[in-house]
Amino acid sequence: MIDLVFWAPVMAGGALAGASSGALGTFIVGMRIPFLGVCVAHAALAGAVFGGLCGLAGQTLLLPALGGAVLTALALGRLNPQRVRLDDNTVLSFLFSTTMGLAFIGIGLYGILGKSDNDVRSLLWGSLNFCRWRDVRWMFGAALALFVYIAVFFKELRAILFSRADAEAAGIRATAVWTGFLVLTAAALTVNFQTIGGLMIYSLISNPAAAAFQITRGCRPAMLLSAAFGAVSGLGGFLIAAVTDLPSGAVIVLVSSALILVAAAWARSRGRSACGVSQPVDGR
Amino acid sequence: MMPEVIAIHGLTVHAGCRCVLEVPHLVAEAGSILALLGPNGAGKTTLLRALLGIVTPTAGRVVVLGKNVGALRGTALAGLRRRMGYVPQLLPARSELPLTVREVVSIGRTARVGLLRPLSRGDWQVVDRWIEHLGLAPLAGRVFNEISGGEQRKTMLARAMAQEPELLLLDEPTANLDLGWRERLVATIQQLHAEARLTIMLVCHELEVLPPACRRVALLDSGRVVALGGPAEVFTNERVARLYGPGLRAWHQAGRHAVLPAEVAHD
Repeated sequence: MIDLVFWAPVMAGGALAGASSGALGTFIVGMRIPFLGVCVAHAALAGAVFGGLCGLAGQTLLLPALGGAVLTALALGRLNPQRVRLDDNTVLSFLFSTTMGLAFIGIGLYGILGKSDNDVRSLLWGSLNFCRWRDVRWMFGAALALFVYIAVFFKELRAILFSRADAEAAGIRATAVWTGFLVLTAAALTVNFQTIGGLMIYSLISNPAAAAFQITRGCRPAMLLSAAFGAVSGLGGFLIAAVTDLPSGAVIVLVSSALILVAAAWARSRGRSACGVSQPVDGR
Repeated sequence: MMPEVIAIHGLTVHAGCRCVLEVPHLVAEAGSILALLGPNGAGKTTLLRALLGIVTPTAGRVVVLGKNVGALRGTALAGLRRRMGYVPQLLPARSELPLTVREVVSIGRTARVGLLRPLSRGDWQVVDRWIEHLGLAPLAGRVFNEISGGEQRKTMLARAMAQEPELLLLDEPTANLDLGWRERLVATIQQLHAEARLTIMLVCHELEVLPPACRRVALLDSGRVVALGGPAEVFTNERVARLYGPGLRAWHQAGRHAVLPAEVAHD
C-alpha cells in the first residue's frame, strides 16, 4: 500500500506539473516549438551554473536559473518573425546551443576553481520522489500565474496560435502578449525542472497536447483536455510506478506517450471530424 | 470628390541595396476598389505591407485613413491596423492546433475589441453573421486546416470582415483556386463592396479576378507604377502584347476583363 500522507506532495506535484505543462503544451506544440522546453532547461542550467560560481548555493540557485530562462524567453519573444529571416525553431537552436555552451564552460570552471557542482545538477535533474509541499507551493504559484495570464489573454493567444504575423497585421499586440507568455512559461518550467527534471517536463509539454489535438476541435477544449491528460500522466504514472516499483519519471513519460497512441487510435477508429470534442455552443 | 483613404507620396522601399518599390504618387478614394496588377516581384505585396506598416519605407509618406503610417509605433500602429482588414497571399498553416473556422473568424473581433476584454455576445453575433453571410455556416465547427483552399480563403475574408474594417486589403485572394471558386470569390468581393461601400485594395495577377466595381487599376513592373487608370485604359492590346507576349489580346466586356489568345478575343 502507498502511504498517501507521505506521498501526497509527490502526487500533488506530479499532477500539478502535468496539468500546467499540458496546458502550456497546447500553445507550445501549437506554435510548433516543443524544443522550447529543452532550450529553457539549458538556459536555466547556465543561469544556475554562473549563480553557483558567484557563490549562491541550494535553493537560492533557483534565482539565477530563473534569470537565465527568462532572458532566453525574452530573446525568443522579442524576435519579430516578420523582421528576422529565421524560423522560431532556428532561433531556439541558436539559443539552446549558446546556453548549453555557456553552461558547460561554467561547469568546467567549477573543476578549475575546485568547487562542487552537485547543487547545480540537482537543481536541474531533480526527482519527483523528493518533491515536498514547499516545492508544490512554488509550482502552484507559477502555474497559477500562468493560468491567470492565459485566461486574461486567451483570445490574443488563440490568434497568435493561428498566425503571429497575421495577428500583428490585424492590430493585435502579438509580440507583447507572446513575450509575456514565454516569460511566464520559462518561469513555470524552471520551477518544475528542479522538482521533476528535464526529460519529464519535455514529455509533459509535448505528449498531452499531441494527444488532445487528435481528438478535439477548438483551442479551449484542446487546452483543457491537454491539461487533464498531463495531470493523468503525472498522477497515474506515479501510482503505476509506486505499485510496480519502477522509476516514476520514466513511467510518467511512458504513460504520456501511451496517451498519444490511445488518442490516435480512438480518433482513427471513430473519425476525428465525426467525434471530435466540439467547441461549446457559444464558442467562448 | 470622395476623401482619400490611401495617399502615397514619394514612396521608396529598399531590400538591402536594391530598390524594390518606387511609387511617386498613388491615391485611393473612399468607397473605391483599386487593383494592383503586375508580374511576380513587381512590388505589389510590398506596397500592401507598407500600408500596414510591416515594411519600413526608405523615403516618402504613406497616409492611410488619415494617419501617417511611418510616424506610428506600438499602440498607435496597432490601432490603425485594427481599422484595416488584411487577407494575406499565403494562408497561415502555422499552427498544429485544430482551430475551428468560427475561432479563426473570431480573430477579426479579437483585434477589434482590444486587450483585456473578452469577446462579448455581440462580438460572437458579428462573427456568426459573417460566417452566415459568406456561406460558411455548415463549416463553422470544422477545423480550419481540414477545409478546402477556397473555403479557407472565404474564412480569411470573413475574419477580415468581422473586424469591420474601413479599408480591406486583399493580396491575391484567388491564388490557387479553381475557376468555380475564383468566380465565387470575385462575386463575394463585388457584393461586399456594393453592400458596405468598402474601400478595397486588391492585389492580383489576372484581369479575370477584377470585380466589375473596380474602376481603377495600377500596373506595377519592377517596383514602379507603369500605368494607372481604368482597366480598359491600362490593359490595351499593345500593352498586353508587350507584357505577356505577342498573340494575346485584352478583352473587356460588361465590367469583366481578361487576357485571351488573339483569335479567341477577336471572336
